Amino acid sequence: MIQLQDIQLSVNTKALVTGLNLEVAKGEKLLITGESGSGKTSLFKAMLGFFPVQAGQILIGTEPLNPKTIRLIRQKIFYLSQDVDLRNDRTDLLVQEILLANHIENEWPGTTGPLMDLLNFTPEIWTRHVHDLSGGERQRLGLMIGFLLDRPIWLLDEPTSALDDTMKQKISDHILKLDKTVLIISHDSVWQRPERLKTYRWG
Amino acid sequence: MGAQDISWFSLVWALCFLIPILWISFKLELALNRAILISVARMALQLGFVGIYLKYLFLWNLPWVNALYVLLMICVACGSILKASQLKFTVFLPAVFFSMLIPFCICLLFFNRVIIGIDNLLDAKYFIPIGGMLLGNCLQSIIIGLSRFYSGIKKEEKVYQYALTLYQSRLLALKPFFKDSVIAAINPILASMATIGLVALPGMMTGQILGGSVPMVAIKYQIAIMLFIFYIQFFGVILSILFSIRSGFDPFDMLKQDIF
Repeated sequence: MIQLQDIQLSVNTKALVTGLNLEVAKGEKLLITGESGSGKTSLFKAMLGFFPVQAGQILIGTEPLNPKTIRLIRQKIFYLSQDVDLRNDRTDLLVQEILLANHIENEWPGTTGPLMDLLNFTPEIWTRHVHDLSGGERQRLGLMIGFLLDRPIWLLDEPTSALDDTMKQKISDHILKLDKTVLIISHDSVWQRPERLKTYRWG
Repeated sequence: MGAQDISWFSLVWALCFLIPILWISFKLELALNRAILISVARMALQLGFVGIYLKYLFLWNLPWVNALYVLLMICVACGSILKASQLKFTVFLPAVFFSMLIPFCICLLFFNRVIIGIDNLLDAKYFIPIGGMLLGNCLQSIIIGLSRFYSGIKKEEKVYQYALTLYQSRLLALKPFFKDSVIAAINPILASMATIGLVALPGMMTGQILGGSVPMVAIKYQIAIMLFIFYIQFFGVILSILFSIRSGFDPFDMLKQDIF
């Protein structure tokens, strides 16, 4: 599903990673761990075309990442950034707009339902603006968008860093059961489950 | 009936209030005196030259010379826009040039033919002053629009990138930045139209009245020119942003870093 072949990433002249080879099969879950600032997020960004790859090739599915395939590749990937960089708008308008842009109909989570329960949201969430949400609420909103978009590949950058322990457990259990290819960057111990996901030690 | 002429000696008197301004600026350590003197000198020199060559342009009244003169004005305007927006001249020149030229030609020719009803569309008496007024007003709005658009994306690059992953389309990811820039660029003219006549009498109308026109004629011209200033600003801002997108982003939809 994802193949990284001899990848080199650099910032200015400093190499973040050289000769990285990694293969993630369809449905596989991979935890990437390593020191902060070592370039793990840059790898996710490179897979989305946001960060230049100095050498090597990235393949998503059968598509090599290049200017011609980038939009197709982005359509396959759900990315949850560390700060969930959503535009400041009212949450209901924002989510509806995202669903509309992705031609997804009849998926509006509404005021009650399994997704609202899983993420512990009350209907009041839909009356607030993104900048008024706490870090945890924003993270859960980001995850809700991911569940609604239902894309085959998930790149999650510290997806549970702002959640309480109960929620961390609940969310991680749910994500690990998904039939998706999931790459997770996290320092949270909740993801340290060798029986459920492989670990790649970065650097 | 024309306006009462101002003697050169009287014009020198118009400079007298500069003295207290320069003194206050010096005492308050505003460090503005050099800029004030340069701006005043440039204004006087530039308008002096305009007076000289407009005399000949009106005298010759050759359509191709008039068109060439206006083209030159557009080129100078493009330079000012890109300098003020702090965008790279060579990258954005074609985009800004055509985003001014297209609405300018349509608005000006429509104004001369349909609104005023003159046969010679390139008549210097109408083509040059009205063209100059449209261009001058278009300039500020395009500067606001372009600089707001690119500085907004640069400042909120993460939000833009995140939107790219969620919306599947560069245009949709750019839409909030586009909206914000157009509103910021158009707001001044909307405020100006809403308060015109209440807060200030516009320059064109004042000029016409001083030149001998009856107030109602001057007012009709002013209404028409305000509408066309609004049209050219609106389309100029929208086109300048849309035309520039191709040059401002790389094939991965990322904002190029060498455009500023």
